[in-house]
Amino acid sequence: MTDTAPDLLPEGLEDQLPREAAAAARITRAVMDALDSHGYDRVNPPLIEFEKSMAGRMAGVQPRRMFRFVDPASLRTLALRSDITVQVGRIAATSMAAAARPLRLCYAGQVATIKGDGLDPTRERTQLGAELIGSDSVAAVAELVSLAVDALTAAGGRGISVDFTLPDLVDTLAAGPLALDPGQVDAVRRELDAKDAGGLLQAGGEAYLPLLYAAGPFDQAIERLAAIDAGGALARRIEGLRAVAARVNGKARLTLDPTERHGFEYQSWFGFTLYAEGVRGALGRGGTYRILGSGGEAATGFSLYTDPLVEAGLDQAAPRDTLFLPPGHDRDVAARLRAIGWRTIAAIDAADDAAALGCTHVLDQGEPRKL
Amino acid sequence: MQKPLTFAVPKGRILDEALPVMARAGIVPEAAFHDKKNRALSFASEDGAMRIIRVRAFDVATFVAHGAAQMGIVGSDVVEEFNYPELYAPVDLDIGHCRLSVAEPADWAGTGSAQGHVSHLRVATKYPNLTRRHFESRGIQAECVKLNGAMELAPGLGLAGRIVDLVSTGQTLKDNGLVETDRIIAISARLVVNRAALKTDERVGALVDAFRAIAAAGKAA
Repeated sequence: MTDTAPDLLPEGLEDQLPREAAAAARITRAVMDALDSHGYDRVNPPLIEFEKSMAGRMAGVQPRRMFRFVDPASLRTLALRSDITVQVGRIAATSMAAAARPLRLCYAGQVATIKGDGLDPTRERTQLGAELIGSDSVAAVAELVSLAVDALTAAGGRGISVDFTLPDLVDTLAAGPLALDPGQVDAVRRELDAKDAGGLLQAGGEAYLPLLYAAGPFDQAIERLAAIDAGGALARRIEGLRAVAARVNGKARLTLDPTERHGFEYQSWFGFTLYAEGVRGALGRGGTYRILGSGGEAATGFSLYTDPLVEAGLDQAAPRDTLFLPPGHDRDVAARLRAIGWRTIAAIDAADDAAALGCTHVLDQGEPRKL
Repeated sequence: MQKPLTFAVPKGRILDEALPVMARAGIVPEAAFHDKKNRALSFASEDGAMRIIRVRAFDVATFVAHGAAQMGIVGSDVVEEFNYPELYAPVDLDIGHCRLSVAEPADWAGTGSAQGHVSHLRVATKYPNLTRRHFESRGIQAECVKLNGAMELAPGLGLAGRIVDLVSTGQTLKDNGLVETDRIIAISARLVVNRAALKTDERVGALVDAFRAIAAAGKAA
């Protein structure tokens, strides 16, 4: 059999060439610096773990979406990580179980899924994030939302917009004030997900219709949500949302969509999604959740998927001066110039062409001379 | 100055009913839109604030889901068939009513296979996902033959025993010797919007509110 495309990359995977790689490195550094300055310690979990520990740490994680294979050493199933958050959960529940709470951890790395997500065929992403373990209070949420906005701003995101949601809202309402048959809950949720008013009526979710209208700019939407608050079941949540909104007001545009569930597999009372101007789709999301295990522990965190910013960040990169070092140059002079910030390219061969190698200057009699 | 919003409308069936609704929401395409000889696909609105594109119904959903158009109008059949997570259908416009149905040759009616005593079927349809889902819920593995039109020919020519297609009056089925045996879903036109656009662009939210008010007024009348 002849291989017609020997070096084609598989679907959903791509190289980052020098320009993109430089932009990606700059973005990662900016985000990690922002997280570090707020006291979040970086951890580096491994790329591969036992499937069981990846899947068991949080409710709603789908091992079906992970690359899996058998470990020749232990004969157990291994999985390539698809979300670093669950690994940080494992660290918090095991190695760092005795560390003082709240525990602040952050991470950066590549994650992979076996299939692209809906319309997006991408199977590998850069995930950057922070987790505060030991609390899912309003104060914790306010810190994380505000930190996420700061980190995204540092990474070059402009016109940032934050969408708040209440991931467990339908479950809470269905169990009490707006009772639904267990059989109906899924259908109602599906129509709420699609914001399909017509479909919602057909699915018997008439009582949930006002929730669709309680989506939009935060100040209006929260009033509408408060107005339909069924028997005060949501009073605490609404109060929490207002407190969080007050904390980030002015730093980002705020919207509320109480029934949004996309991407919130394991979040509990609060979730948020981050958008930026000029970037299609979400750049990150976060919220409150529980780390499963002995006793369980509340936590709050967020993840940013910054790859779309790379494209937007390209034009921000100022062209850099590069100094060509001809054969037989003075190495001490070159070292001194590097020490004061010059980027140098040394000739390997007398035939090397300074301009073709992207140099802007050449070392001439101990001084950089513009080409 | 913000970039103009792009509004996608489907060619054919729904368009004639959709234009008056759009006009009430303040979206009126320029005169060239109605010129049959004009081969352009993209038109400005009369006030220049929007761009209106005319594409196939299935492509309306694709354009909006990818964010290439921020909003559009399309039948709920298309919304359900794709089931794109990026696509919201916040307003039922109460126009373009029809239904998606299963049909089979009239001379089959009453035979064993018609009563569903099978585990596998071949079905010709434009809607493979909806069809598969419908038959799966009845424990039947449906093998779908994807056609882009003229489904009604399939049973007669032995391509597939049954078809799943849109039905409004039932006349096309009758003319081709078919009978409707099962209704899958009722269909009406929906306003669709891109999820990210709704959350990041205030103009989209304002238009959704406008369409919602029009739909509510239409229902009250």
